[in-house]
Amino acid sequence: MTTTRRNALVRPCTIIYLLLIGLTLLTWALGRFNDRIGLPVATLSMTVLGIALLKGQLIGDFFMGLRRVRGAWRWVVTLWLLLPASLIGYAFLSSY
Amino acid sequence: MTEKNRQPPGDLAIWIFICAELGVFAVFFAAYAFTRAQHVELFNRYQQTLNSNYALINTLALITSSYFVVRAVAAIRDDHQRSCARWLGAAIAMGGVFLVVKSMEYHHHFSAGVTLSTNTFYMFYLSLTFFHFMHVLMGMVILAAVALKARRGGYSASAYTGVETGASYWHMVDLVWIILFPLVYVMR
Amino acid sequence: MKYQSQSVAKLYFIAAIGLFVGQILFGLVMGLQYVVGDFLFPEIPFNVARMVHTNLLIVWLLFGFMGSAYYLVPEEAERELVAPWLAKLMFWIFLAAGAATIVGYLLLSYSDLAKLTQDDLLPTMGREFLEQPTITKLGIVVVALAFLFSIGMTILKGRKTVVNLVLLIGLTGLAVFFLFSFYNPENLVLDKYYWWWVVHLWVEGVWELILGSILAFILIKTTGVDREVIEKWLYVIIAMTLITGLIGTGHHYYWIGTPAFWQWWGSIFSAMEPIPFFMMTIFAFNMVNRRRRNHPNKAAVLWALGTAVMAFLGAGVWGFLHTLAPVNYYTHGTQITAAHGHMAFYGAYVMIVLAMISYAMPMLRGRRAANSPRSQVLEMWSFWLMTVSMVFITLFLTGAGILQTYLQRYSDQPLDFMTVQDKISLFYWLRELAGAVFLIGLVIYVVSFFAGTDEPEVAEKVEVDA
Ligand code: HEM
Ligand code: HEM
Ligand SMILES: [Fe+2]
Repeated sequence: MTTTRRNALVRPCTIIYLLLIGLTLLTWALGRFNDRIGLPVATLSMTVLGIALLKGQLIGDFFMGLRRVRGAWRWVVTLWLLLPASLIGYAFLSSY
Repeated sequence: MTEKNRQPPGDLAIWIFICAELGVFAVFFAAYAFTRAQHVELFNRYQQTLNSNYALINTLALITSSYFVVRAVAAIRDDHQRSCARWLGAAIAMGGVFLVVKSMEYHHHFSAGVTLSTNTFYMFYLSLTFFHFMHVLMGMVILAAVALKARRGGYSASAYTGVETGASYWHMVDLVWIILFPLVYVMR
Repeated sequence: MKYQSQSVAKLYFIAAIGLFVGQILFGLVMGLQYVVGDFLFPEIPFNVARMVHTNLLIVWLLFGFMGSAYYLVPEEAERELVAPWLAKLMFWIFLAAGAATIVGYLLLSYSDLAKLTQDDLLPTMGREFLEQPTITKLGIVVVALAFLFSIGMTILKGRKTVVNLVLLIGLTGLAVFFLFSFYNPENLVLDKYYWWWVVHLWVEGVWELILGSILAFILIKTTGVDREVIEKWLYVIIAMTLITGLIGTGHHYYWIGTPAFWQWWGSIFSAMEPIPFFMMTIFAFNMVNRRRRNHPNKAAVLWALGTAVMAFLGAGVWGFLHTLAPVNYYTHGTQITAAHGHMAFYGAYVMIVLAMISYAMPMLRGRRAANSPRSQVLEMWSFWLMTVSMVFITLFLTGAGILQTYLQRYSDQPLDFMTVQDKISLFYWLRELAGAVFLIGLVIYVVSFFAGTDEPEVAEKVEVDA
């Protein structure tokens, strides 16, 4: 978990944190206001799923510290994200 | 600083456990998605009875608490035991926020007479979120144990595997919610 | 043997093996009745033989668990057992109650037995695995309480290890869930609902803790691997067991009148139940590979590894086979269930008890660490004969079960139960044959205790070979 550097002005983990907050607000807003935004549902769903994947990867890399790991463990979170996400994506896309 | 480890932070045992837990959630998510594909109307209709503002607050709470946990690990790496315990305490408090908000949400649904047997959507909604709820609770217990030990000076810059172990578990709880939130509240 | 009081375990182990022989004999009787319907009728009807077979199984496994605990707990706690006299007294009470119950099954009709034992005062009889008269059940509770007292006090007063605590939790859970056998509501759904709290929460819950801790103990002793490593594995395994196994009870709530969400809960959580069994397999092999010593008791290590593999196959693989609701819809209560029941019980609980007996018995009989080579060779033969024949029993029953499911429930022109049974009788003959081989293995197992008793024991090779 070497995501913090004392000498930097803002710690990298703080930047990641703010990014995660932003992405969360984006997801929420897309869900909340899509009647006004008017994205097709398929686009909406796939976008928020994609955002979730990105967020998950950030958490795995920076919060869980997998960025600093080599070998098989480096990719556990990535693999885990891809597995359900592809099933979810397939199930949703096939339902429209 | 740049050299890479072969093992993830914390005890390897917790990672094996994390993998198993993630597996259960993955199955649950897939089951939700495929069942929904057969009852699109029903799921879309009842999804609208959920209030995504609650979910937003909860997502922010979990991400924030995860961030606090990262800071706790950073603190102990600098040998700041008190500060580590304080960050952990803050993380636990955010977990508490999650539990309270989620309970309010449950209260809303239960007082509307919703049960596991109302329909398939509510069955999934209640099961998935409740299973996750129990994980938040368990994560808070783990973090509390770590925080107490940190306060007693049980960790130091040279021995903090325990902090990383608890941290890894807590991030997992966050990670699962990151998928659960869009899946149940937003995707349609 | 480090502590004098560990020797009470020997009584329990001997009784366990004796009842095991009885169990198998009745299994063979039933196996023959499957194909020769009136064999031993009216002396031993099928339903009586079935009761004797399954109750003997449970009772001898309980003897085995108690014996294991009486051996293991003092050694882990590093002190003598509290009240060893109580352990001896309870042994005789338990044995007498068990024997009287079996004699009652065999000599009286079940309804007469119920009348004789005043079942109408507190009716608890008549349910599979829990057929014992109410007084026998009360006796079991008394024995269990006394047992938990000696074990619990020994642990409290002595060194507390993870192995001991997990074992104690498992044994306490065993006693607590047994109390549900006294709850016998009128409503058939509720009756079944709580019946599984005994049966399922035993074998897929608290007994797994007992299994895990005994396995951990044997591995600590025979491999010399650090206790901390083994304890960590134990933590992960029991956590996973409880998460999946408790809610996994739902795989019995698909079709008994319980709400439909159980089909989801049961399917998802029980589908994960193989994970802790798989972890146990990895755990056992990992520890043996990292061993710091070559323990001279090869037979005990073989049983321990065998448990880890067979429990995964029987419980994990054969359990998964029929645990998803859409599959169970067709296979419920067929020979697939019997196939799974046999291999799971054998692989997990029979084998762990035999592993513990194998590890402890040489010391209980005054040796330093292991039996003579001759005795060990016989024991390992019996291991392979019993294990391989159990695999075949399972495979034949699975074959029978697949055909049964298809012919009776899936094909376009479903046939009635008895017609199907006739059509698959070849599998039942083969099962009986495999059962006979199992009995041969068991006889050799018993003989191994009397072979080479005056020969010197295997010595420990000092260096670990690469
Ligand atoms: C050592 C552990 C286990 C033992 C000793 C065991 C034993 C048994 C027995 C004896 C039965 C038959 C009960 C009856 O109806 O009389 C049974 C049923 C069943 N077991 Fe297990 N079992 C174990 C683990 C598992 C696991 C891990 C799974 C799932 C992955 C599983 C899935 C099932 C299912 C679905 C049934 C119901 C079958 C039906 O509908 O007829 N079991 N088990
Ligand atoms: C250690 C070895 C054995 C174990 C652990 C064992 C265990 C069991 C269990 C748990 C049941 C109840 C199954 C259920 O409810 O589905 C059972 C039933 C039965 N067992 Fe065994 N058994 C063993 C050996 C044998 C042998 C060697 C035979 C015969 C060849 C045999 C024949 C039977 C039969 C015929 C039934 C009745 C099945 C039915 O109700 O249709 N068993 N056994
Ligand atoms: Fe079960």
